[in-house]
Amino acid sequence: MPKVVSIHSYRGGTGKSNFTANLATTVAAQGYRVGVVDTDLPSPGIHNLFCLEPEQTQKALNHYLWGDCPITSVAYDVSANVGITSGGQLFLVPSSVKADDIARILNNGYDARLMNDGFRSLVKALQLDYLFIDTHPGLSKETFLSIAISHVLLLILRPDKQDYQGTAVTADVARQLKVRKMLLAINKVYSTLNLEALQQKVEETFHETVAGVFPLSEEVVQLASEGVFCVKYPDHPISQEFRKVAQQIMEA
Amino acid sequence: MSNTTGSGMGDLQSLTNSITAVTSPFRLYLSDLLQKYQPLDEGAIADYIPELALALPEWFGICAVTTVGQIFEVGHCKQLFTIQSISKAFIFGLALEDHGREYVNSKVSVEPTGEAFNSIVLDEATNRPYNPMVNAGAIATADLIKGNNGTERLKRVLDMFKRYTGREHDINVPVFLSERATGFRNRAMAYLMRNFGMVGDNIDETLDLYFQQCSIMVNAHDLAMLAATLANGGINPVTQERAIQEQYVQDVVSVMLTCGMYDASGEWTYRVGMPAKSGVGGGITALVPGQLGIGTFSPLLDAKGNSLRGLKVCEDLSRDFGLHIFNAATGDRNLEEWIAGSNGTDDW
Repeated sequence: MPKVVSIHSYRGGTGKSNFTANLATTVAAQGYRVGVVDTDLPSPGIHNLFCLEPEQTQKALNHYLWGDCPITSVAYDVSANVGITSGGQLFLVPSSVKADDIARILNNGYDARLMNDGFRSLVKALQLDYLFIDTHPGLSKETFLSIAISHVLLLILRPDKQDYQGTAVTADVARQLKVRKMLLAINKVYSTLNLEALQQKVEETFHETVAGVFPLSEEVVQLASEGVFCVKYPDHPISQEFRKVAQQIMEA
Repeated sequence: MSNTTGSGMGDLQSLTNSITAVTSPFRLYLSDLLQKYQPLDEGAIADYIPELALALPEWFGICAVTTVGQIFEVGHCKQLFTIQSISKAFIFGLALEDHGREYVNSKVSVEPTGEAFNSIVLDEATNRPYNPMVNAGAIATADLIKGNNGTERLKRVLDMFKRYTGREHDINVPVFLSERATGFRNRAMAYLMRNFGMVGDNIDETLDLYFQQCSIMVNAHDLAMLAATLANGGINPVTQERAIQEQYVQDVVSVMLTCGMYDASGEWTYRVGMPAKSGVGGGITALVPGQLGIGTFSPLLDAKGNSLRGLKVCEDLSRDFGLHIFNAATGDRNLEEWIAGSNGTDDW
C-alpha cells in the first residue's frame, strides 16, 4: 500500500527540504517509486536540491491548483539528477518561484481539497510506493491537511526552546487529527551536546520516538543546497543517520 | 449537539472536523465517482428555453450531507443552476402545512403516472391531476400556497427554501421570463383544471408563482441540504432550524419515492431505492432517511429528463453502501466507517 510521509516543522530553517530530499532519495535508491511534492507555496526551494532549474519547469504545482493542468503533467522525473539507476524512480512536483505566481497564491489562496485530490491522483497515476510532502513551516489549514492524510509525520526540531514549544503544539494538533505514526528528528545539534541524553530527554518530553539525531554539519552547509547530501557523501555519518530514519519510515 | 461555534465545540476541534471532512475516505470515494463519470458525455442539455442551453456539459458536482451535519463536496458544488422540478416536492410540503393533508389530497392525487411530466391528463373520476410532481399537479399545488398577493406567496416559498438550505435564494429572472413567455402547455393545463374547479381564479398569479419556483437558483450543496433536512426529520442538520412540520416529512418523501424521477420512477425505486427528485436544470436531490442527503448536478439529461451522471452516482452509492431503502443485506461498504475513516477503508 502506498505511504504518504509529511516532513514538517513548526519553525523555518530546521532543514525540512534537506530532510525531504535526502529521505526520498534514500528510499528511491532502494528500488521504490517515490514522489516529492513541494507544498511550500509561499517559499519553495526543494527543486534546487534535485538540480531542477526553474527554466526546465514551465508549469508547477501552482498551475495544477489553478485548474490549468492535471497534477501528473507537473511531476518531473529527477531520478537521473540524483543518480538513481537501480530500478527506483524519483519524481518532483515543484512549486513556482516566480514572484507573480507566489503573489497569486498569497492573494487568492487555493482550495485545499484540490491538493488532497492531487496527491491521490499522483500516487495512482505514477504508481508511487511513497509520497513525500515538503511543507511550509508553522500551522495552517494546508499543514493540517498534510498531517491528516499522512501515514507518517516526521517533525523536525532543533535543540532550542522556541522549537520545543512549537513542536509540542504541532504534536498536539497531529494527535487531534489522529495521525497514524509520528516521528521526531533533531537537527543541527552542536558538538558539545550529548546526543544520546538529548534523544532520551526529547522522547520523554514529547512521548514520541526520535528517529534520528543530526549534528550541526559544515559539510551540509558547504553543499549549499546544490545536490542531495547522501548522494554526494554516501559514507558520511549524516548519510548513515538519514538511512536510519528512512528505514523507520519504511517500517512504520 | 448543535453547537459548532462559540464555546461548545473548541476551535481546534471545529478546524480538525473540517479537515477530516476533506480527508475522509467517503469524500475520496465521491471524488473517485466524479472522475469515473466525468467522461460520460452522452445525453443532452435542456434547450427548450435559450437560458438553459447556456449550461456547460462538463459541469459536474456531488455533495453529501449527513444528518449530523458533516458536509462532503466534490466538483462543481458552488455552480448555480435553476432548481426546476425539484421545487415541486418542497412546495407540496408547504401546501400541506398551509391546508392539511385532506384538503391537499382533494386537489391533487398521489398516484404515480407512466405519462411524461408535461402530459395533460387528469383523473377521470375526480378531475385531480395525478400527483404533485407532474406539471399539472405542481400547478395545482402551487395554487394552494397561501399569501395575500404574488409577492407574498413567492416570499413564503423563498423563505421555506432558506430554512432547508440555510441560505438566501434568488430567482433567475431571464429563466422565469422565458418560461412564462413560452409556457403555453402549462397555461393550457391550468385552464383545463380551472374548468374542473381544481384551481382557483388566480390563474395568472399561480402560474407566475409556478414559473418562479422553477427558476430558483440552487447549487449541488443546496440540493444535498434539502435532502439532508428531510432525512433528518425536517430539521436542517447544520442550522438546526425546522424547515417543515415533522408530520408532513413522510408525505413529501413518499411522493418523491413513487413519482420523483418523472416516468422513470419505477425503475429508479427498483434499482436505486432512494426517495429523490430531479430537475431539467441537471439537479437531483436524493435521501437516505435518517442518514444522508445527496445533491448531484450535471446538466446532461437522458431522454426522460434526468441527469445522466447524477443517476450513475446515485446508483453506485446505493449499491456500494447498501443504501436502497428496502435493502436487507449488508452493503460492501459501511457508510459510518467510511465517513469516520478507519484502516479498513483507507485505499491510498
